[in-house]
Amino acid sequence: MARFAGGKAPYLRIADQPGQGTNVVMRDFLIGLLPVVLFAWYKNGIQVYLDGNIAIMEMFYPFVFILLGGLSSLLMEGLSFYITDKENRSLKGLMKRLHTSFSLIPGLILALLLPLYTPVWVLLFGAFMASIVAKMLFGGFGHNIFNPALLGYLAVGFTLSGVIAAAGGALNASEVLVDTYAGATPLGILAATKQIDYQTLVAPYGNLWNFLLGTIPGALGETGALAIIIAYIWFSVRKVIKWSTPLIYIGTVFALSWLIGIFAGDAGIWFPTYSILSGGVMFGAVYMATEPVTTPKNPWGKVVFALFLGALTVLFRFIGNFPEGVGTSLIVMNMFTMPIDNLTAQMRSAGLRKATFVKGGLLVVLLGALIAYALFKASTIYSLSIITRIFLQGVM
Amino acid sequence: MILQKARGIRIDGAKSMSKTSPLREYLDPKVVYIPLVQQTFPLKRLVEPGESVAIGQIVAMREGFTEMPVHASVSGKIAAIKKVWHASGRMVEAIEIENDFLNRYDPAVKPEKDPEALTPEQLIEKMKQAGLVGLGGAGFPTYRKYCTKCAIDTIIINAVECEPYMTCDCLQVEKTPEKLLKGLRYFMKAAGATRGFIAYKDYNAGIREALEPLLPHYPGTSLFALNDRYPAGWEKYIVESVVGKTYQKLPSEIGVIVNNSATAIAFADMVEDNLPLVRRVITITGEGITSPQNFHVPLGTKVQDLVAMSGGYKEGLDPKNAWYLAGGPMTGRAILVDELVVSDTLGAVVVLPMPAEKLHPECLGCGQCADVCPVHLTPTEIKRALDRKDLKAIGSLNADKCMACGLCSYVCPSHIEIADYVAKAKESLKKGA
Repeated sequence: MARFAGGKAPYLRIADQPGQGTNVVMRDFLIGLLPVVLFAWYKNGIQVYLDGNIAIMEMFYPFVFILLGGLSSLLMEGLSFYITDKENRSLKGLMKRLHTSFSLIPGLILALLLPLYTPVWVLLFGAFMASIVAKMLFGGFGHNIFNPALLGYLAVGFTLSGVIAAAGGALNASEVLVDTYAGATPLGILAATKQIDYQTLVAPYGNLWNFLLGTIPGALGETGALAIIIAYIWFSVRKVIKWSTPLIYIGTVFALSWLIGIFAGDAGIWFPTYSILSGGVMFGAVYMATEPVTTPKNPWGKVVFALFLGALTVLFRFIGNFPEGVGTSLIVMNMFTMPIDNLTAQMRSAGLRKATFVKGGLLVVLLGALIAYALFKASTIYSLSIITRIFLQGVM
Repeated sequence: MILQKARGIRIDGAKSMSKTSPLREYLDPKVVYIPLVQQTFPLKRLVEPGESVAIGQIVAMREGFTEMPVHASVSGKIAAIKKVWHASGRMVEAIEIENDFLNRYDPAVKPEKDPEALTPEQLIEKMKQAGLVGLGGAGFPTYRKYCTKCAIDTIIINAVECEPYMTCDCLQVEKTPEKLLKGLRYFMKAAGATRGFIAYKDYNAGIREALEPLLPHYPGTSLFALNDRYPAGWEKYIVESVVGKTYQKLPSEIGVIVNNSATAIAFADMVEDNLPLVRRVITITGEGITSPQNFHVPLGTKVQDLVAMSGGYKEGLDPKNAWYLAGGPMTGRAILVDELVVSDTLGAVVVLPMPAEKLHPECLGCGQCADVCPVHLTPTEIKRALDRKDLKAIGSLNADKCMACGLCSYVCPSHIEIADYVAKAKESLKKGA
């Protein structure tokens, strides 16, 4: 007779197999950040150095800045474990907890969201808001409601954007020399002029290919659309993210922007393309709208989340006071993650019943109302500017 | 609707282990134990210690709605009433029969003169008197399925065997394809069905090769290949794939009855030889077994004997760090002591060394558990409702639909016992209602 071990069915687990499990998923996520980090470094460091506008030591600055973001997050989480857990203060215990907390990520993403010339103390403040306030205070990895990096970014944006602008902002040493940039990002121009016009929105930056390659002014990580697409392919192949979420989100923004362009009298495909390639849409779609902890878990919930996110982004971007709409819409949608998850979980498990259609109908009506409001509002703002323009041209 | 179709996932079946060696007959164990429990129902014992019994003699009765007899599986003397380990994971009372190696059969076990002349009612009565239950693992009395008021037009034989490591069904079909088809024909006749399907997994070429040449002799029967997916052997999945329709509670609602292949083979013996359910095939396998294989054994055989015949446990296997699984690794149960006896629902015993310990983070919320769920549940939401003991929420999330396939725990990258939480939620729903 032999006594064997107990346990819970099933006894086969993917997580037990080598090269599987959450640690591997998060490692793949870090690898997926590489293209964007490298692009940010190339664009703001290497290329500027090759232009002869900065010294060789300064060439490393963008890379060091991003790493610093990650490291500060790591240290802060370590410190927070040290303070809160009195029994586990040995280095080994701390390493174990950090190993399952994936502390590098909030800081790294935060740094990628910030402009190049953000003062380091601002970065540290943002990392504190991200790692401590948004993550550890909510109970650590897996318990946070808001995307940590995003909360850090918004905290910095709402309180210290003036400081960043004063320190030099997003334009690197080469970009400052370009007259047409006028110190603004493409979305900044749109917010300022409220005009849908290729000549003012795209022409100063060359053409739309530059938007795709990312050689336009903007925060460190968000401009490199091509690098982000590479990361997206990597994530989809490695199944780190659900491949459909970014497509639905970007698709919604694309479609709604196009409609707004049509209302404003310019049906050109350039405008929706410009709309998804500028600002943080691509970055948000791939790295944040798919962030597992703070977005719905249910496959239907993911679809609903992405649709509403797209509608909100358009609403905030074209109608709100700030040029960006991605961050705000993401944080708002983070709040609705739980109810969306619950509602869609009920619908999906109930199957094609009457209750499902009632709940689904409610969601459709809500989404429809949101879109209708966004389109209506945007059409008044942007058509008006066209009329004004025609009128002004007539006068002159 | 494409969003609603259960897909399942591919799991490494690890079946080649026990499939390479042929099916072994082991019909004369020294002693057998007939458990006095079926599913969760206790049986009424009809014999006393000291009595002599023959193969096929009734020794116990199952009572109530699912009333039917249980038979002795070897001839010999009742030695004692003992407690033994059962596939349900508990110790249950059992009748110990010492084999006299005379192979005496009960007078009722004799070849049927004209099996083709039997009426449907007679066939169903035979199922009942032979004590036929579903041998796939559920153990539900087969005659109950046929006593339905619904009109049945299709019988599906489940030879899918989607549980990893298990090979007993497949090997038995390959060895006795004729019996399977005969059993199917009798099932069709008993139900008045015109169509019979044998569902198998497409990579099981052995089944196709064994059955295909025989099909023309059995009108109305055909093969149906399913993708290699877990849980393709789930009743609802098979019916949906074969018939293209779905049902709420029982397949008979849409005129379908599903039987396991081993049940069909046993039924052929019952009809033609009046041999009740006294034997079955069981797989002894796993990384912890020296030479995994399948055995045809009388019910009540000690699994220890079969393990010894399979070369015993692998050298270096530490029982404290290994699982002894009754039924297979996905839906089976870990038995603490290896003194298990073969019962009607036990298709496999798998001995697995435990995987190395890893450090697992918390739920990262990837949602893969919801993605794979064949009944479209969202286990994370059910766990959340369970954590706050919200019965109403658990109900509205349809936790009762869970059929315990275990896929959610299987895919979880953080190694969370999520299937167990859903099972608990389902349990609490039953208690609360």
